Amino acid sequence: MSNKEALLTIADLHASVEEKNILQGLDLEIKPGEVHAIMGPNGAGKSTMGYVLSGRDGYEVQKGTAVLDGVDILELEPEERAHAGLFLAFQYPVEIPGVSNLEFLKAAVDAQRNARGEEAISASDFLKEAKAACKQVNLPVSFLKRGVNEGFSGGEKKRNEIMQMLLLKPKLCILDETDSGLDIDALQVVAEGVNSQRAPDRSFVVVTHYQRLLDYIKPDFVHVLADGKIVKSGDASLALELEAQGYSWLQSSKEDVNA
Amino acid sequence: MSKWLANAIEQASSKQDWFQPLRAQAIQSLAEITWPTRKTEAWKYTSLRAVERFKQEAEIKKLRDSVTTIDEFDAIELVFENGHCQFQQIGDLPKGLTIVKLNEASSEMQSFALQKFSSVKPKRHLFGLINDALVPDLVYIKVADQAVIDKPIRITSLLSEQAQVHTRVFVELGQQAKACIVEHYKGELECLNTGFIEYSLANESCLEHYRFALQSGKAVSIGGSHFELAECADLNSTVVGFGSDLSRLDIDVIHSGERAFAKLNAFYLLDNKETFDLHTTIEHAVPNGTTEENVRIIAGDKAKAVFNGRIHIHRDAQKTLAELNNRNLLMSHDAEINTKPELEIYADDVRCAHGATVAEIDKKAMYYLQSRGVPKEQAQVMLNFGFINELIDEMPNQALAQWLRPQMKKRFAAMKVK
Repeated sequence: MSNKEALLTIADLHASVEEKNILQGLDLEIKPGEVHAIMGPNGAGKSTMGYVLSGRDGYEVQKGTAVLDGVDILELEPEERAHAGLFLAFQYPVEIPGVSNLEFLKAAVDAQRNARGEEAISASDFLKEAKAACKQVNLPVSFLKRGVNEGFSGGEKKRNEIMQMLLLKPKLCILDETDSGLDIDALQVVAEGVNSQRAPDRSFVVVTHYQRLLDYIKPDFVHVLADGKIVKSGDASLALELEAQGYSWLQSSKEDVNA
Repeated sequence: MSKWLANAIEQASSKQDWFQPLRAQAIQSLAEITWPTRKTEAWKYTSLRAVERFKQEAEIKKLRDSVTTIDEFDAIELVFENGHCQFQQIGDLPKGLTIVKLNEASSEMQSFALQKFSSVKPKRHLFGLINDALVPDLVYIKVADQAVIDKPIRITSLLSEQAQVHTRVFVELGQQAKACIVEHYKGELECLNTGFIEYSLANESCLEHYRFALQSGKAVSIGGSHFELAECADLNSTVVGFGSDLSRLDIDVIHSGERAFAKLNAFYLLDNKETFDLHTTIEHAVPNGTTEENVRIIAGDKAKAVFNGRIHIHRDAQKTLAELNNRNLLMSHDAEINTKPELEIYADDVRCAHGATVAEIDKKAMYYLQSRGVPKEQAQVMLNFGFINELIDEMPNQALAQWLRPQMKKRFAAMKVK
């Protein structure tokens, strides 16, 4: 464990969707450079965590804080959270016909550079970067001209998410079940994309159901999220244990505590 | 009878030329017509006051407009200056393409054209009749059988301020012929013009068509593009509209041969107090025809958009596939979009779908853009513009798409959101 200051600190986070309490006292601390895996049964609040942190409409925070790099992001607009360095790779990326991938990416990068007070990148330099990013995730360059995710296969959408991450260079990336619906080849592409971005000042939260992804993206910590909070944390071996035994032993041990 | 119409009839009655038989018919119909009011279905949402108010200058003012240069767009240019066709600018024509002024053609050709085009433009269009009665020059474009004309043919109508102008073109595509025709109407000047073009597509011919109805400001612009499709003919048409004091366009497609295919994309973007009124009528008279129609409208400020989309599937037109999709976006509370899809189906074995919706911003798409750092207002503009950009993306001619996109963007960005 390093003594570095935390990049993200979530404390006692309570959040609801349509008046249903989903997160019920979530605590999590992530230091720069770390990779945390979040696993857990369906309905535990894994995706909700990503949506609450990124500021999706309809996700109400009742209580708690989430501080990213010194800034409490829960009061910010979604775009301001992105400017602060947050990136969420969606489980279901949205199709936006009529808005080209390239136009979208350039607008996003421009806005982020502008918010950080950096100089704008020229169209030709950006195109070069975008083409390189395409290549890195094995997407044909022609995809830059197509509508955002329009008519992309499931795997292509996920690779497009990783491409965005490569271009936006966030501080904290949350990958929300990025492995779902991927075959082994696509999984490797995604994992390589992530691994290429691992850096001492960049952290990852990998939300997944399956140990498989963690064979490729080695986590420093594994947490089990159940009933809206972390019920168990450990190192990478915890994922293997979960794979072998499922989650019921955790829930029964919880009942034991309650008993 | 309206004073304007009485005056038009009087002007027409003095014309003596080869087109006289058609003029006489038109004059007779016009004399019997009831001038449309808001109770007339075809003009329910669009007032003709701008026509009635229009004062024609006795002397035509100097023409100040010219043909628009478009990057990487090399076309055969047919130019009408205040309704008069300028032939000296056309230059050498490729093999298989003939363009003639019918006024100066042989009487055989004149009567052939009259006969050929007698049924393409329906007689119900009031201003189609006005055009019949008053048009000075008729131009006939013929693409020979099997001829493939690679260069687009652009027809530009240039107008002087206060001019009243009528233009008319007949286009005939021979069997398996292929061509691209661009109709370009533009300018902000106060003027009144009717522009009608009739297209006859022979068996297996293929037409890529654009009508840029981009007159704005005080212009009173009324016209039509009318298509008759023979067997296996293929029409891909894109209509782009800005609004003006009064802009009205009638598109008619008649499937008169089996297995013809018509794709019609139309989008209009209105601001200020502009009006744009589009009526489309698709007639499936025979079996096995296909029509795909997509209409998208964005109206801002106090603009008024009208869309009436009629698809008529005749009793014998079995196995017709027809789809009409209309999506609309209101940018302000004072803007108005009146839309009416009208399906009339008399055959029992057809697939026909229609939908008209008022689009709202897709919240998920909005969140997605914002989550990547795009500010909300910019995301809104991107998404709204994307709504029509989809149809620009579908334009087969890339040079035209690239020319149009920034203009539409600029117009859109300037729209008042309330």
